[in-house]
Amino acid sequence: MSLVTIIWSMSASASLMLASINFMVWFQNRKLWANLLFSLLATGTAGWSICEMWMMHAATPAEFAPVLKWGHVAVWLLIVSLVGFVRLYLKTGRSWLAWTVFGTRTLLLFPNFLVGQNLNFLEITRLGHMRLLGESVAIAEGTPNPWIVLGEINLVLLIIFVVDASLMTWRQGERRRALTVGGSIVFFVFVSSGQALLVHWKVLILPYVGSIFFMGLVLVMGYELSSETIHASELGRKLQKTEAGLHEVKETMRLAVEGANFGIWNRDLVRNEVWATDKWCALFGFTKAQPLKFDQIVERVHPADRDTVQFLLQKAIESHGIYDAEYRVVLPSGELRWIGSHGAVEFDDSGKPILFRGVSHDITWRKAAEQEAENLRRQIAHAGRVSMMGQLASSLAHEINQPLGAILRNAEAAELFMQEPTPDLEEIRTILADIRKDDQRAGNVIDRMRSLLKRRDMDKRPVDVGELIRGVVALVHSDAAARHINLDMAIADNLPPVFGDLVHLQQVLLNLIVNGMDALDEAKSADRRVSVTAALDGPGKVEIAVSDSGRGIPADNLANIFDPFFTTKSNGMGMGLPISRTIIEAHGGRLWAENGNKGGASFRFTLPIAQNEAAK
Amino acid sequence: MTATVPIVHVVDDDASFLAAISRLLRANGFAVKTYSSAHEFLSQLDAHAPGCVLADLRMPQMNGLDLQSALAQTSNPLPILFLTGHGDIPSSVRAMRDGAEDFLEKRAPHERLIQAVSRALARDSREREERERQRELRALFDTLTDREREVLSHVVRGRLNKQIAADLNIHERTVKLHRTAITTKLKVQSVAELTRLTEELGLFREPAPNLP
Repeated sequence: MSLVTIIWSMSASASLMLASINFMVWFQNRKLWANLLFSLLATGTAGWSICEMWMMHAATPAEFAPVLKWGHVAVWLLIVSLVGFVRLYLKTGRSWLAWTVFGTRTLLLFPNFLVGQNLNFLEITRLGHMRLLGESVAIAEGTPNPWIVLGEINLVLLIIFVVDASLMTWRQGERRRALTVGGSIVFFVFVSSGQALLVHWKVLILPYVGSIFFMGLVLVMGYELSSETIHASELGRKLQKTEAGLHEVKETMRLAVEGANFGIWNRDLVRNEVWATDKWCALFGFTKAQPLKFDQIVERVHPADRDTVQFLLQKAIESHGIYDAEYRVVLPSGELRWIGSHGAVEFDDSGKPILFRGVSHDITWRKAAEQEAENLRRQIAHAGRVSMMGQLASSLAHEINQPLGAILRNAEAAELFMQEPTPDLEEIRTILADIRKDDQRAGNVIDRMRSLLKRRDMDKRPVDVGELIRGVVALVHSDAAARHINLDMAIADNLPPVFGDLVHLQQVLLNLIVNGMDALDEAKSADRRVSVTAALDGPGKVEIAVSDSGRGIPADNLANIFDPFFTTKSNGMGMGLPISRTIIEAHGGRLWAENGNKGGASFRFTLPIAQNEAAK
Repeated sequence: MTATVPIVHVVDDDASFLAAISRLLRANGFAVKTYSSAHEFLSQLDAHAPGCVLADLRMPQMNGLDLQSALAQTSNPLPILFLTGHGDIPSSVRAMRDGAEDFLEKRAPHERLIQAVSRALARDSREREERERQRELRALFDTLTDREREVLSHVVRGRLNKQIAADLNIHERTVKLHRTAITTKLKVQSVAELTRLTEELGLFREPAPNLP
């Protein structure tokens, strides 16, 4: 077999091979139009390659002419797909130029088939021969077809289009691509068209061998495309790896979630659909088969908690995206279950909430323990108040006897006035007003005592700090007097109300004041003073301090005084301070002790102001 | 003289009770002055005016017991009555031991209050008279010369003139002259009367015999 046959047929088959590979690539993924056009480009190259080989081996002009004519169809395919490929692959090139190249090349098919024997010749008169690669090959001679000029213009336009497109790619920064793809297209198109022109105008005596150059173009393009395919397959491998990893993470998550008894839920906010794991369904008492409806889920929530849950969900969607709630659900069996839920909202790029996802778990056990602790705390607090009342009994009796004594004496005086021949009614009226006032006073003392002695739940509401302090000071006032103690108050002006339970706070204050007075008994100091002060501490807190002029707290005890059963008093239980601290902490505040710089101990606690607390 | 009208001084830190009790005492015909603290009362105390004190036992700063001891130091130790909201044993024991006139609950019966106040005023008047008489007696004794006083000490011990003369190493007639001067100055008639007076003033008291 001759060398020409080997080279040209290899070129044709290589082109066909690349064409079919890229066709398959396109077939797998119809979006890869560049691969389809490359496949057509390679097919055109293969077609023209076969025509060239055929022409070189033609024996007569009659055999040569039709091959050249049909060869132009391959050239048409080649050029048209090259233009498309450049547009798609480089994504540059002027479209009017592209359409012009496409149009003129298509137009040229008419003279090719209608004028003369083909686009090159009106008539091939004879076949000349020359030696190529040690073999005699045919060269056509005859009358040229004047339409060929349009074909040459078309090739020049093609070169301009490709050069322009490559330059644009270069300027856009895609330099490697501009060089490899753009450069090689320019080079091979320029060389093959140049060769065709030179042969046609008899400057070069050669058969048509342009397909070999196009073959070069096809190989470069094929390399470029396959490197992308390799890249894609690498990506695919990585993706597989990632997926494997992801699967592992999912599996671990699933185990963790099941182990922790967490139920997972998703709520599509766009379609308002809810999806949840089996565990979640079990938590809320839904069967697996049941499709979940958001409204039904809300109905499961205990009526008392429903509004809160709805509010928190809505707030998460509308603002920060985070959702945390603890609430009760009522199962169809009537069983009550505490649920702790944590979730987050996902937003799309425009900030629109699209998905709400979260976890829920059963916190009934914890809630029961909390409730039990709360009951215990309440009982201890109550016991603390009762025992403190016992300590204060004689003081309280005095507080009540004082107004009662005044009432009695006033009544007796009034009786005497009435016995006079002309009673002084003005005086009697004043006496009655005083009696009413003292009755009120005695009643207040009794009310305060009763409220302190009552066992009760914590009932938080705005509390006036001045009222709180004055109420307690009124209870211990006479006790302080009997013990020669100056009990003074300094309450800052315009203090905002704090948020808390009046009775519990009174208990804390009472305890601290009684402690302060006891400290003075131990100290036997000359200046016997207990001061209660209240002032704003930062924007959201009020600080109340009870300070005494005693010896202060020994450094050794400072760490232990809040421990239960720690006491320095002979008759103390050691529960006052721990109870007080528990109460203050239940209010979201802090209670601590320190020694003043002028001696004496100072117990301080903070309470959140009502305005801040209500906003939460 | 208006100063002789006895005044009931009421001391209590509870303004409302103070007003009520003073009203009642006035209605009962007493002259009343009120004070919100022991200090206020002591600073306004008249050195001679008769009366009594009605004080709350529990008061800030100076309480009733402190007032009692401070009052005892003054030249006008008025009888003191204590008022308390609630019986308080240790305080009342101390108060009574220190000579408190009475110890009343704030809601004590009307009659008992009035009786206690009247009694206190009577005691004040009695003690005041006693103090006055003693003061006068003492003035009389102060007119005696040292020798007459010496003679008197022997007379009240029941010594005879002869014995006194021997003891003092003077003549019996001189002793008689001294005795006449003494009875004249002290305006007494008999030795028995003389002995009673010296006892009343606590003069020439034998040292107390040692108790077994």
